[in-house]
Amino acid sequence: MTDIIQVHGLTKRYGDFTAVDGISFSVVSGETFGILGPNGAGKTTTLEMVEGLKGISGGGATLDGLDVKREPRLVKALIGVQLQASSFFDNLNLKELVETFGALYGRKVDAMKLLQDVELEDKWKSMVRELSGGQKQRLSIAVALVNDPKVLFLDEPTTGLDPQARRHLWGLITAVKKQGKTIVLTTHYMEEAEVLCDRVAIMDHAKIIALDTPVNLLRFADVVSTIEFSIEQPIDPEHLRKLPAVESVSSEDHGYQILTKDPEQTLPALFKLEGELRFKLFDLQLRQATLEDVFLKLTGHSLRE
Amino acid sequence: MTTRILTISAIKMFVRNRQALFFTLFMPLIIMTIFGLIGFDRVPTLKIGVVAATPTPPTEEFITRLKDIPNVELFRNSEESERAALLKGDRVAVFLIPDDLIPAPPTNPDSSPNATTTKSVRVLENVAQSQYAKTATSLLSRVLDQTALAMAQAPKFFDVQTEEVSVKQTRYIDFLLPGIVGLALMQMAVFSVAFIFTDYKEKGILKRLVASPMKPSQFVAANVITRLIIALVQTAVLIAVGVLLYKTHVYGAWWLIGLIATFGAVMFLGLGFTISGLARTVDAVPAIANLIVFPMLFLGGTFFPIDTMPVWLQHVVKYLPLQYLTHSLREVMANGAGLGVIATDLYWMLGWSVALIFLANLTFGFEEKRL
Repeated sequence: MTDIIQVHGLTKRYGDFTAVDGISFSVVSGETFGILGPNGAGKTTTLEMVEGLKGISGGGATLDGLDVKREPRLVKALIGVQLQASSFFDNLNLKELVETFGALYGRKVDAMKLLQDVELEDKWKSMVRELSGGQKQRLSIAVALVNDPKVLFLDEPTTGLDPQARRHLWGLITAVKKQGKTIVLTTHYMEEAEVLCDRVAIMDHAKIIALDTPVNLLRFADVVSTIEFSIEQPIDPEHLRKLPAVESVSSEDHGYQILTKDPEQTLPALFKLEGELRFKLFDLQLRQATLEDVFLKLTGHSLRE
Repeated sequence: MTTRILTISAIKMFVRNRQALFFTLFMPLIIMTIFGLIGFDRVPTLKIGVVAATPTPPTEEFITRLKDIPNVELFRNSEESERAALLKGDRVAVFLIPDDLIPAPPTNPDSSPNATTTKSVRVLENVAQSQYAKTATSLLSRVLDQTALAMAQAPKFFDVQTEEVSVKQTRYIDFLLPGIVGLALMQMAVFSVAFIFTDYKEKGILKRLVASPMKPSQFVAANVITRLIIALVQTAVLIAVGVLLYKTHVYGAWWLIGLIATFGAVMFLGLGFTISGLARTVDAVPAIANLIVFPMLFLGGTFFPIDTMPVWLQHVVKYLPLQYLTHSLREVMANGAGLGVIATDLYWMLGWSVALIFLANLTFGFEEKRL
């Protein structure tokens, strides 16, 4: 396991405004790394500095051992880039477009194969303006893959897509990941980060405030899950409070609500208690903590603000 | 290889872009057709009314001779209706010819023609078109004189013999065509770059290109090469239409026309890039571009010779980039001038190119760059 990307104290300033404030992280070869945060957190700026697209005000980044500041052109040859809200040339069909982008990398590419990988081979004669939003995003992934890159950068790949198109794109990204490519993506969808990413950096106000696997982020952020159920014969809530990992218990008529740090410990104990006290659980519901809760807990504000 | 493929793609995009084709070919052709149809230099037909109710046979013969004059269209009606036509402006003049203007040959050959009293033709002239009316009247006098001489059987002392010598006849279309070619080159170079590159910038396409290892200069080169090829094709097509449809003569060397077109295109491509640097959005392009291009279109010697303008204006207008282009094209196409004659124009175009490309470098960039 080697780090393919290393970022040290990366900073971007526009006059008095600091868009990215001395962040450091590294990305392991082959992993899918997510940068999660609200709009304006500095995700895109971070990505564009690492891609060699934007000037770096302070700190630095290396990609596959190459200094991004000193060797931007060599870095660009190694990476595939999908920009936020990408658009493409008019008046070229998809096949010609992919071939033209291949030329930018000095490559002759099998455009039909690339279009096939993103399930657009039937559309090869179309112009970009005839594509739907999801198809455009798929095209931009095909274009990002023309140079068979080591690292694929995706900037908010599913923003603005309907849920079905989003899931479709997740499938494609997973397929790319299976080819062994390193993927760095930004998103403000928690679900997307949880589904796609091996590790997630949470960014807010130009800084990384947490970086871990989605599971660990949930575990260590002390966020609670909720277990809700009903019982025919009321029992003493004290029994429930003694269950492991339980934070608090509240009850109302036959309904009970348990807040727990770790439902994996609480639930088996609850079932055991059900046997001992001979009551019957029904309408059992578990609402697990998500990265959304982690984010709220860490920043004190919600993601969509 | 990169630049070659990019050039091929850029040509495909240009040819498939209806807006670009409109500015490049159709608009110049339409302007040429309209101005060609107006034909500023065509001799107008003189519409003359003739009133003669029951003329004697010689008088009738006289009227026929009037009819035979080229560029004269004769209308014969009652005096009343011809006066009405004159009032409406449909006649430049109306001749009121007495029936016995020229009497029938006398039955008695001894009687002298001198004995007859002088008959007069009354001419009603259209004051609004007095010049044409005077022409009509002088034509009438001429025919009358000829008739009188013929009747008097006087010997003919003088005669004018006209001989048509084939000189380089410069018609308006010969003047217009180089102007149209210059205008088309300007439109193509300025608008196709200003619109398309501003669009690329606004849509983030340029940014996506910067994310690749290609050098921006390669992309610019591909687009410049594309437009230089288009410039030559465009020049050839417009001249071909002029020659085939309007029978224009092109006297100068083809390679020289190609050289001038290339110089002009480079100069205006510089202007196009400058404008796409200044415009933040595509919506701003027509405003900025027309502010510069539109005055030049009329003042740059496209439709009217510069020496017809007020002197103070000539001093300004002669420095316009388009003026050097239309002037040199006209010298070569209409007058068959060689490289020596147009060298000054070429130097000026070169100077403008350097200045405009310098400006373009200041305003236009693939990444955020503002003056």
